[in-house]
Amino acid sequence: MAALGRAAAGVRRVRPVIALATLAGTFLWLSFLCVGGGLGVLPEMQRQVVDRHHWVTDREFVDGYTLSQLTPGPSMLVVVFVGFRAHGIAGAMAATLGMFVPTSVLTAVVAHHWGSLRDRPLARAVERALTPIGVGLMAAGAWTLARSAVHDVVSGAIAAAALVVFLALRLPPIVVVLAAGGVSWLAGS
Amino acid sequence: MRRIRLLPLVLELAWTGLVSLGGGRAAYFYDSLVVRRGWVSSDQFVQDLTLCQILPGPNFSNLAVALGYRLGGWAGAAWGLVAILLPGASILLALAMLYAAGAFSPSAGALMHGMGAAVVGLVIVATGKMVRASLRGSRAVVVATLTFLAVGPLAVNTAIVIAVMAVVSAWLHWAAPPPASAGSGR
Repeated sequence: MAALGRAAAGVRRVRPVIALATLAGTFLWLSFLCVGGGLGVLPEMQRQVVDRHHWVTDREFVDGYTLSQLTPGPSMLVVVFVGFRAHGIAGAMAATLGMFVPTSVLTAVVAHHWGSLRDRPLARAVERALTPIGVGLMAAGAWTLARSAVHDVVSGAIAAAALVVFLALRLPPIVVVLAAGGVSWLAGS
Repeated sequence: MRRIRLLPLVLELAWTGLVSLGGGRAAYFYDSLVVRRGWVSSDQFVQDLTLCQILPGPNFSNLAVALGYRLGGWAGAAWGLVAILLPGASILLALAMLYAAGAFSPSAGALMHGMGAAVVGLVIVATGKMVRASLRGSRAVVVATLTFLAVGPLAVNTAIVIAVMAVVSAWLHWAAPPPASAGSGR
């Protein structure tokens, strides 16, 4: 009986560790699916955290994503919300570590090696080849954002006005963006 | 490689992370590090941006790490990540706690729609500056236009587009390399 009790206590101690490892591992796997624009990973994330692991409900996932959009920083911070709902503060930390740290280490290592290759002719040629692709991607990002954010006369007018302000004045972006939010709120109510 | 002292670098990244609301976050980094501070050139920024889109992981954190590494080495990369994650993660954790307590249910209301629309203006301006500063020659314009059309209006998977266009672009640039003299600047 005593042995059984000890075993049960052991399981109780180990189970949270396994739960946190599952959380971190799931987001680690999802982070490697974020290739070129993170939004593509959302459907798979929903399958994992709602349908497979039941960490959050469908509604909570949508609410969590909305909150992450309202919060500064990467929109993938939605993992903080999911992690917290699953296993409290430890869960939030495990989810954040899994989502951000491994891919960041990879980026830093690649940036490091790239930095030491940079002056070679081949590397220069690769950079020359990649630069227009990056510019095209940035333009495509503007397109995608415009398609989702400009949906009526008010949002179209705000986008156009913001464009003129950014061109004409050297205001910090946040000032213009918050002012636009205020204008939209007044126009909508 | 240009080195920036760690404290101002981390503060700048943290501030940029903290004020980047409403999507289009690369444009905020462009505005702060290229336009305002002048710590990285437009070309360097575009190279890091492309690198981050090729590598797996959330683009925004990858970009902070790549720019952090460029400006501050390993410490810049590590603290760059912390700088853009910690403020947002703390805020979101607090919101998650309030949410769990049943304090509120969020809605993407008029405020957020207005902010998103304004960021469209910011992203277009940043893209325009990038085009002017970093696109040189007709081959580059062709590659940038094709990439834009494929990823934007045609909505082809980004990873596939980058893979295909990298080959096309390398071939175009190899087929007719620009007149480069020994020791020329770029």
